[in-house]
Amino acid sequence: MALLEKAPGETLATDRRVLGAAALVVLWLLTVPFTTTDSLTGLVLTGLVFVMLGVSWNLLAGYAGQISLGHAAFFGMGAFVSAWLTTPSAAGFPASIQLPIIPALVVGALASALIALVIGPIIFRLTGHYFAIGTLALAAVIELIMLDRRDLTGGATGYYVQGDLSLSETVSHGDVMFLLTLVATIVTVVVTYLIVRGPTGLGMKAIHDDEDAASSLGVNPLKYKMYAFVVSSFFAGLAGALYGHYTLYLNPQSTLAVTWTIDSLVIVILGGMGTFAGPILGSGLFLLLDNGLSAVVGGFSSAVEGILIILFIIFLPKGLYGILKEYLVEETGETDTAHD
Amino acid sequence: MVATDLLTQSVINGLLLGGIYALAALGLSLVFGIMDIVNLAHGHMLMVGAYIAILVFAATGITPLVGMLLAMVLMFGLGVLLQKVLLKHVVDEGIEQPIIVLFGLALILQNLGRVLLGGDSRTADIGLPGSGIDIGIAYMSFPRTVTFVVSVLLIVLTWAFLQYTKTGQAIRATAQNRTAAKYMGINTDQIYVITLGIGTALAGAAGALLSMLFPIDPYVGWSYLLKTFAVVVLGGVGSVLGTLVGGLVLGVSENLGALYLGGGYRNIVSLLIFLGVLLVKPEGLFGSSGGGE
Repeated sequence: MALLEKAPGETLATDRRVLGAAALVVLWLLTVPFTTTDSLTGLVLTGLVFVMLGVSWNLLAGYAGQISLGHAAFFGMGAFVSAWLTTPSAAGFPASIQLPIIPALVVGALASALIALVIGPIIFRLTGHYFAIGTLALAAVIELIMLDRRDLTGGATGYYVQGDLSLSETVSHGDVMFLLTLVATIVTVVVTYLIVRGPTGLGMKAIHDDEDAASSLGVNPLKYKMYAFVVSSFFAGLAGALYGHYTLYLNPQSTLAVTWTIDSLVIVILGGMGTFAGPILGSGLFLLLDNGLSAVVGGFSSAVEGILIILFIIFLPKGLYGILKEYLVEETGETDTAHD
Repeated sequence: MVATDLLTQSVINGLLLGGIYALAALGLSLVFGIMDIVNLAHGHMLMVGAYIAILVFAATGITPLVGMLLAMVLMFGLGVLLQKVLLKHVVDEGIEQPIIVLFGLALILQNLGRVLLGGDSRTADIGLPGSGIDIGIAYMSFPRTVTFVVSVLLIVLTWAFLQYTKTGQAIRATAQNRTAAKYMGINTDQIYVITLGIGTALAGAAGALLSMLFPIDPYVGWSYLLKTFAVVVLGGVGSVLGTLVGGLVLGVSENLGALYLGGGYRNIVSLLIFLGVLLVKPEGLFGSSGGGE
């Protein structure tokens, strides 16, 4: 298959052993809701949401080179729009717009993508530092407006989402949401993979490396930035919609908080920015850190996360992926050089 | 319709507040102009400076104006250390790495603030005798007037330092063209250390002044980062005079926004002005496009 051909310098993602391991992980994940406790299922679900956030932010920041600090806004808007559709009465919308959960999730994600589509041409007038800080400001504006619109979001009290997908006594709503999140995560990973391996991904990397040079060779920077922004926002919105319908509670101060942007960034930096497997590995490590660190360092866990991203970006800019790849490539040097 | 005296009062309050905003933004503007780095931890540095003043005041009752001097010294040290230990590895290496290093630092400062000092907001008092001035059309409260005067004084001192001292000239030369400055025998590495030290010290000073007017909690960093960046964008990167004007414009427009639209819109107004200017005229209303070209 042409799509699975190896690209130079990225052997890990197509290594047969890696594909095998990925299949095993997916199979194991399928059993999670049926073999573990509810709290553990929730923990792994959070990990899957992290994968979606990391992979989508990495597409925009790692591949297209646009450091957005507004990812949380798209996560949160996906959550709120889907919640308005499944629970319209709480926001004063007519019951006629009510949708079942699954279509509502998709519409929530589409709403995030639409926001990106509208804002993109304006915000991409900014580059570099200005883009980063502009997206941070944009997310802050959205958070403040949503917090102020108590009628739509419940304000500081929050928004209770109704939803029950439980199939039986043993298969609870959370279990079904877990399986939906797993499917969505796989879709996110596969679609992103196809994009970065295809000509669009090449365009994104070109504008990342040197926007002026790419532009003079006929690559339209805005087109590729918009592509990355819209797709990235879609998956961030989908992640938010899923998470909102798992927790069944939203609050503008937490659902739209900068924390989600920070998490996405930490995940990608730990895993390896601009590498395909990076955010997936990073999510696993981040989940461990997020839950394990507090046991070791008490309340200082986010300070430790801060120290880790600083050390990683300075000394290990290719992250966990870089370390693993070095180790694996050394062992399988033969297959690697065959494609040079 | 809002009464005229209420309007003049809000404009005066906005101008007084704007002076501190200008001081708060000056460090960010200098670092951006000279090192081509947006200090994402600037708001958090301001928060640390505020806490230094608050703690000194709470422990001894000494006015935060003295605490401000201590904050400036300590924060200068933090800035120097930050450049020497971390940023020297990533400065001049594109934008991704410095942004992420400073983002990490912001996380660390916020977390340390929350754990060591608690999540509740705290505030200091000016701790000096004195009364406000009635200027006929409006009333200038004592703390607001004192903090405004100190802010403007520090801004003028920074301007004079850049304009008339040898180090200041070397800093401006580095901002104009770092390669040429290097060829002229300027130790640009040293200039970066001093610049970040000054930038951080100014953030600490502004934080200490703000602690006399507003409650401070460990999470104020992001909001002050955006406010100060708005001032930088309004005033133009690296321009001292522009920063002063930008600060005053932001202070007044925030107060008018709060007056006409309600207190909840205070921050939204400043952010929208910021985004608007950023999109229409990214080089700022008053400055040139700054250094690092």
